[in-house]
Amino acid sequence: MKTKKFIPYFLVAPYIFHFLLFVAFPVIFSIVLTFHQWNIISPMKYIGLANYTRLFQDKFFSQSLVNTLIFLIIHIPLQIIIALLLAETLNQKIKFRGFFRAAFFLPVIVSGVVVTILWQQLYGFDTGLFNKILTAIGLGRIGWLVDPSWAMPSIAIMATWKNVGLYIILFLVGLQTVPVHYYEAADLEGATHWQKFFKITLPMINPTIFMVVVLSTIGGFSLFIEPYVMTGGGPLNSTLSAVLYIYKQGFFYYHMGYSATLGLFFALLILSVVAIQKKFIEKDK
Amino acid sequence: MRNQFLIILFSVLIILLLISCGSQKERKSNQLLFWSSNNTQEIDFARYIVNEWNKHSKSGKVSFQPVPEGQSSEEIILAAVVGKTTPDVYSNMWQGDVEDYARAGVLVAFDTLKGFNDFIFSRCDSSVIREVTSPDGHIYQIPWKINPIMLLYNKQIVAGLGFKEPPANYEQFNFASEKYKNENIDSHGYVKKWFGYSEVLVTWWQRFFDFYPLYLAASNGAPLVKDYKAAFDNKYAVEVFSFLRNLYQHNYFAKERLSARQDVFLSSIIATRFTGSWEILHAEKFKPEGFEYSFAHMPVPNDHQGPVYTYGDPKNIVIFKTCSNPQLAWDFIHFMIDKKNDLKLSQLTNQLPRRKGLINDSLFAEYFENNPKMIEFARQSEYVRGTDPYPNLTEVFDIISQEYEECVIYGKKAPEDAIHEAAKQVNLLYIK
Amino acid sequence: MKKILFYILLIAGALIFLYPFIWMITASITPENQIGNLTFLPNKLTISSYTQMLGKIPIGRAFVNSIIVSSAVTLGVLIFGSLVGYALSRLEFKGRNLIFYVIIFTMTLPFQITLIPQYIIMVKFGWVDTYWALIVPYLMNALGIIMFRQYFKSIPQDLIDAARLDGCGEIKIIFKILWPNSIPALVTIGIITFMASWNEVLWPLIVIRDSQLMTMPQLVTLFAVGGSADSQLGVKLAAATMLALPIVLAYLFFQKYFIQSMAATGLKE
Repeated sequence: MKTKKFIPYFLVAPYIFHFLLFVAFPVIFSIVLTFHQWNIISPMKYIGLANYTRLFQDKFFSQSLVNTLIFLIIHIPLQIIIALLLAETLNQKIKFRGFFRAAFFLPVIVSGVVVTILWQQLYGFDTGLFNKILTAIGLGRIGWLVDPSWAMPSIAIMATWKNVGLYIILFLVGLQTVPVHYYEAADLEGATHWQKFFKITLPMINPTIFMVVVLSTIGGFSLFIEPYVMTGGGPLNSTLSAVLYIYKQGFFYYHMGYSATLGLFFALLILSVVAIQKKFIEKDK
Repeated sequence: MRNQFLIILFSVLIILLLISCGSQKERKSNQLLFWSSNNTQEIDFARYIVNEWNKHSKSGKVSFQPVPEGQSSEEIILAAVVGKTTPDVYSNMWQGDVEDYARAGVLVAFDTLKGFNDFIFSRCDSSVIREVTSPDGHIYQIPWKINPIMLLYNKQIVAGLGFKEPPANYEQFNFASEKYKNENIDSHGYVKKWFGYSEVLVTWWQRFFDFYPLYLAASNGAPLVKDYKAAFDNKYAVEVFSFLRNLYQHNYFAKERLSARQDVFLSSIIATRFTGSWEILHAEKFKPEGFEYSFAHMPVPNDHQGPVYTYGDPKNIVIFKTCSNPQLAWDFIHFMIDKKNDLKLSQLTNQLPRRKGLINDSLFAEYFENNPKMIEFARQSEYVRGTDPYPNLTEVFDIISQEYEECVIYGKKAPEDAIHEAAKQVNLLYIK
Repeated sequence: MKKILFYILLIAGALIFLYPFIWMITASITPENQIGNLTFLPNKLTISSYTQMLGKIPIGRAFVNSIIVSSAVTLGVLIFGSLVGYALSRLEFKGRNLIFYVIIFTMTLPFQITLIPQYIIMVKFGWVDTYWALIVPYLMNALGIIMFRQYFKSIPQDLIDAARLDGCGEIKIIFKILWPNSIPALVTIGIITFMASWNEVLWPLIVIRDSQLMTMPQLVTLFAVGGSADSQLGVKLAAATMLALPIVLAYLFFQKYFIQSMAATGLKE
């Protein structure tokens, strides 16, 4: 049939249409918008590079990048260590493995909003569980969410708790790809548990570690709902994430042009970071 | 066959897309849509007004609905403006938002409507009218009602501290705070009760309940923004920041968020609060036996002269340009704000209309007799300010809030520096 | 000895991951003024937090909205993903590689750059405060397409040839032949898509202002952040519990599939 040749095009046409509308056009429009000032209800006004000069002088934006960095520095190592530890443990012959795995995974599927509301209470200065425990063992209270030095680390800890289940699963899969006879050979040579871990396990699961790092990084860059609900970006803007700031500029002040500029810059930043991480790890291999 | 199915799918998709592009609600020119706020009492008032109007009007009918529930009514209005689905009349517009919409060209200028100019000067003070006139000379909003922010205080506690009158200036306020603190501190030095409380929030509108009314009180109603420049870089703003910072540093005001507990004023955990007349309805319902409270003006600097102003949280009425019959809309609004209906507003919602001479008005005499606590508010209503007629006020308050957090709450900046910085940021804001 | 250590570690871990949820549930049925002192069980149980919450926010409505949106999106992703995945994996046509790379490209594109323009498109189409805004942008999922393509590649060609001989058109082939043989892929992509759609908050916050159309996580977020729940912790926790409930129930029944799905995505990266 004649139409047969066109069938593939019909099949992909919805995607093309969707792509043009929701990806191609927005990217182009986004770039155009960065040169304008617009609050949606009034006409767009061309302002040249004004948004860019503002971006480079914006202390809130630079603060948000610093905050993101702090988040990642705490979150990623914590994530890897805990996930790896628990995955190793689960990989042994133990009973109720399914139950433990399910328990660790539970926070992953629950909405971030639930986790945030919950932890907001746990972190409460007066009545929160953590401070209750601290005072019970004789230590002083910590201003988890009200002390500017603690706020972002607190969010990083919560984010680790929420996501580590996913990474445990990923590490489990990775651990199970390590051929058993490697370990058997090592046992014959009298290797200790630690030696086996560092010499065999770690190198073999390097790709998994890399994936965890990249996924955590992208997750860290997308941080929004946690600071939005828990702290509103405070105290003293210590938990202002870049996405939260972009959202604020666009949907709170309605500085659409400036918000688009921030978004563009941030997107390029993310791509660069991921590319660098890739190069870094590929070189290792 | 199968491919035809796909073709049909696309066509349907495209048609749906085209259909959903902007569906306008066609309203006949003698029908009006009126949006009220979604506060229960105000809905009752709106229903009353609309029924009365429809009963007697010959020129057109009005239907009303409360502004749709959403994140905030401001957002809903913005969405409506953007989607061109605005009502004809809206009665809950915050004064600070009007200028942005006026500049976008979506509001009708009242001074172009017949009967407006005559009426408005009979209802409102000339200073009020000046306040709501835009820089371009037109008037895009009608000052409808106000909720002056005042000092709510627990009568017994204040008397117990040795005060015959509630503290009127910063010195007295600090003195009372210190005394109250010392009576309520436990052996570990942990303060359990505070003389006052203001939400430790950086949200921009929180300043309506601390910085802004205090600033207006201290400065006799000075503007925040004038001629597209910050007008608050003065000693009054610095004094207010100092006063508030002091309250937090000495733990006279709690730094922790007390709102997670039950009403802290009614349970005597705090003795005072900066708030409006809406507290009355709440307090009457939930106050414990024998609890007595009243209202006084905001505290002022020790060397203050003259009457004490405050922030009035004004809500105003606007007509959107999508209205096909603005004259009819104005006639309806005229009805809504005539003296009889202004009285009805107070009776139903316990809020005051922004009308001059309330205290001495014979029509309102009975109302004040039945609601003595409102007399303080009526007296205060002569000395009330709204917001300055400039755009982007949300951002102005947000800038002030950022400095507020650093200086007042965390004590990391001196008041002068905080005010300077805020003024600088505001000036940058208006350059664009 | 080592075994005991392992068990201790695992039990401690399980406790750490489960206890906060248990606390949340018990606190939501504790009287408001006792929540601060709660450790394990309250002396008095109450459902007042729930009744208050139900009176304050249309959570049932939000639940329905989330069901509608997430189901529509999942269905869309499965259908359109199959169409494109099939074309890319089993049909020869010009531009096939180009489209494949375009899809990979969209996976690397951070959402921060398209957020504002997508909102503006919604405004221009008049889709703000409609289901369209929540569903249409998510109908195509690059990851879904890639996974379908991968999976379809492994289906034996004879199955498809036989179907063609029988006179089946391409669409029929996808739904009558490929789908029954791709249950793992369907389940995996279905679960991931449904979960992601259900938990999405930022986009609804941007395009939906009318509380009758809000999704469940969006409503609970605004409830927690806004003033209407302010003094009442129990009510907030009740809302959070309600939000968690549907997914947790689904999880308890389909646990195996959830975990397998997530593992599968990891392998694809």
